[in-house]
Amino acid sequence: MKTILVVDDAIFMRKTIRLILEKNGYEVVGEASNGREAISMYEKLQPDIVTMDLTMPDMDGISATRAIHSSNPDSNVVIVSAMGQDSCVREAIMAGARAFIVKPFQESFIVETLRKIS
Amino acid sequence: MSDSKREPMLDMFIFETLNQLEHLEQSLISSEKSSNLDASINEIFRIMHTIKGSAAMMLFDNIASLAHAAEDLFHYLREHPGIGIDHPALTDLVLECVDFIKNEVAFIDSEEESGSNPQSLIEKTSDYLAALKGRQSEEQAPPATSPESEKALFYISSSERGPQPEGGPRYEAVIHFSESCQMENVRAFLIVHNLKEIAGNIKFYPDDIADSDASIELIRSEGFYISFNSPHSQEYLDSFFQRSACVDHFQLSPAPPESEIDRGSPRGCRPERPGPAAATIPPAPERFDSPSPSIHQSMINVSVSKLDRLMDLVAELVIVQAMVTQNPELEGLNLDNFYKEARQLKKITNDLQDTAMALRMVSLANTFQKMNRLVRDMSHKIQKKVKLELVGADTEVDKNVIEQISDPLMHLVRNSLDHGLETPEERLTAGKSPEGHLSIEAKNFGGDVWIEVKDDGRGLDKYKILARAQEHGLTDKSEAELSEKEIFSFIFLPGFSTRDGVTQFSGRGVGMDVVIRNIQAIGGSVLIDSIPGQGTTISLKIPLTLAIIDGMTIQVGRNRYTIPINSIREAFQITEDELVCDPDGHEMIFIRGKCHPLLRLYQLYHVHPAARNINDGIVLQLEHNGETICLLADSLLGEQQVVIKPLPNYIKLQNSNIKGISGCTLLGDGSISLILDVSSLLKL
Repeated sequence: MKTILVVDDAIFMRKTIRLILEKNGYEVVGEASNGREAISMYEKLQPDIVTMDLTMPDMDGISATRAIHSSNPDSNVVIVSAMGQDSCVREAIMAGARAFIVKPFQESFIVETLRKIS
Repeated sequence: MSDSKREPMLDMFIFETLNQLEHLEQSLISSEKSSNLDASINEIFRIMHTIKGSAAMMLFDNIASLAHAAEDLFHYLREHPGIGIDHPALTDLVLECVDFIKNEVAFIDSEEESGSNPQSLIEKTSDYLAALKGRQSEEQAPPATSPESEKALFYISSSERGPQPEGGPRYEAVIHFSESCQMENVRAFLIVHNLKEIAGNIKFYPDDIADSDASIELIRSEGFYISFNSPHSQEYLDSFFQRSACVDHFQLSPAPPESEIDRGSPRGCRPERPGPAAATIPPAPERFDSPSPSIHQSMINVSVSKLDRLMDLVAELVIVQAMVTQNPELEGLNLDNFYKEARQLKKITNDLQDTAMALRMVSLANTFQKMNRLVRDMSHKIQKKVKLELVGADTEVDKNVIEQISDPLMHLVRNSLDHGLETPEERLTAGKSPEGHLSIEAKNFGGDVWIEVKDDGRGLDKYKILARAQEHGLTDKSEAELSEKEIFSFIFLPGFSTRDGVTQFSGRGVGMDVVIRNIQAIGGSVLIDSIPGQGTTISLKIPLTLAIIDGMTIQVGRNRYTIPINSIREAFQITEDELVCDPDGHEMIFIRGKCHPLLRLYQLYHVHPAARNINDGIVLQLEHNGETICLLADSLLGEQQVVIKPLPNYIKLQNSNIKGISGCTLLGDGSISLILDVSSLLKL
């Protein structure tokens, strides 16, 4: 079973993503609420996939993606971003994100995206 | 929302959104106080962003679109630090948005359609933003780093991953993204970016995949054209595109030689420029030399109903524990070991009960913070200057209690601001500082929490209050017959109002009686102190918890009664000759120079006591709100924690005036004990 780390500052989003993923046979091994947490949890849990929000307190998703990617070149970071954050998403892709999902998303969409990248 | 089953995430959405709005409000108000918005801009932006995302997920378009407008505004403020803004106006605007969203959430919570339309508010917000932008461009020429040139930063850097694979046959592909995938330009960007690892000399069309709506449209309708050289096989490349997210379908084919592309590329596209060269090399990854210690999730959210259930179960356990250990069948048996274990059981039960209660404890901080907003709004509207001081916001009380005191507290604060505090001019004339001072203080005291709302306003005018009370037929006593406290307490009577004018916030003659009703409903009480010209202090005394009290159980005849231990001052025996009678035949007991009325419980409840004579019984002196009463009982049965159960409805209905009883409880032996309500005994 693929392991997933869900990163988002909104509990609601984390739970929604968790619900969808668990329903589709992924194992959510951790939830982080900001970039800094995400990095330390990534190192500890070594998940197969990370879903990463961009706008978060303390440390944003781009910096976290960059840090995770630089020490784990094989990491699979999927950006979960709102509409209209084009430039941020691009920056995150440069930082090593493998794919991105636009909020609000449909269940099939997120599952499809994750299936494809790993 | 006719669905009877609630969307599982809905509660979470409501809970979190309200929390965040609360947060936003605090941050906003504190930034207004310090006249420094900069610190809050980021936070407000982020919160609006999060709310927008969550609301869009739940298809609450009203909230999402308004949050989006607010997010845009704060995005602009964030990008243009130091732009002069009208702080109070901005605060008002954002608070209006917050209120709208709160209101929407409330409707969602009650599963109704709100019917309200955010459009005007959205327009107001975007107008505000437009005005800001207009001013900005007037004041200075467009900044050197216009959005366009910033965007250039995000062009693909080909040097990022070292040398890209060169050579190999040339391929071309047209990619169509799935219909609902959105942000097609960035998807294209992602593909190009990923393709860099396995291909070189990449060209694509439309060539502007940075930030152009036109290219989004083009990609949607025509597909995304890309050509490249790659040493990999076509199968490998096929699977690469297949595995790219959101690709609906694509055609990959070996391309004609380079020179021919210009002439014969599909649909006449002319990919003229090579893959954009690296304009800038992205900054080096940040270093994290001190990784934060591993993070555990140490908080969970539990629904209140589960806690209620737990509390119920613990309460049952407390009763059963007493039933077992005090079982009459054990009487006379020599059971040393049993009692030893029983004591252990009792200790653990007590700990369990404390823990279950502690789970329900919530700090008053949130309730207190709401007052910040209230005071801010009101002081603006009624043009009084007020400094609000909150003390002891970390004091904890039961969740149910919190819900009951929020309204009363708001009424008290409103009243203080509206009636208590004077206008700045009046204050100056009275020799006070023009800024009024309002403090709300919470503290633990014994088994109760005291909350004091204190202002330094004009104080209560007891003559006016008395006159008003007589006018409304609330009392027929004269001033000489009433103590100051009794006069003050008239303001809590329904329909009482000393203010002729009605303001937006208070003074409708409802409110103060709500205060006392809510507080009494949770077993608390209200005290008023006031010095004319110096201010008023209203104190709420609130029990920590509603469910369980420490009680002293007494016996009168065959009946048991339980008295909250907090209200017992002392127990003693007296003789007949220490009794005094007043001319009306009321019995009094003279203790240490003070007279206290005596109440014979058997007379009140018409039971046959063992001790009709005061010599044989025991007298308990009870106190409530500074008033005392003495109670004659046959004997004391002992102290124990009891679980308060309300009187069953059929008793309440048949006997609408059960005097002095607030509830009942089960004792260890299975018998029922009535819980005495000291405050109503005092009124008998």
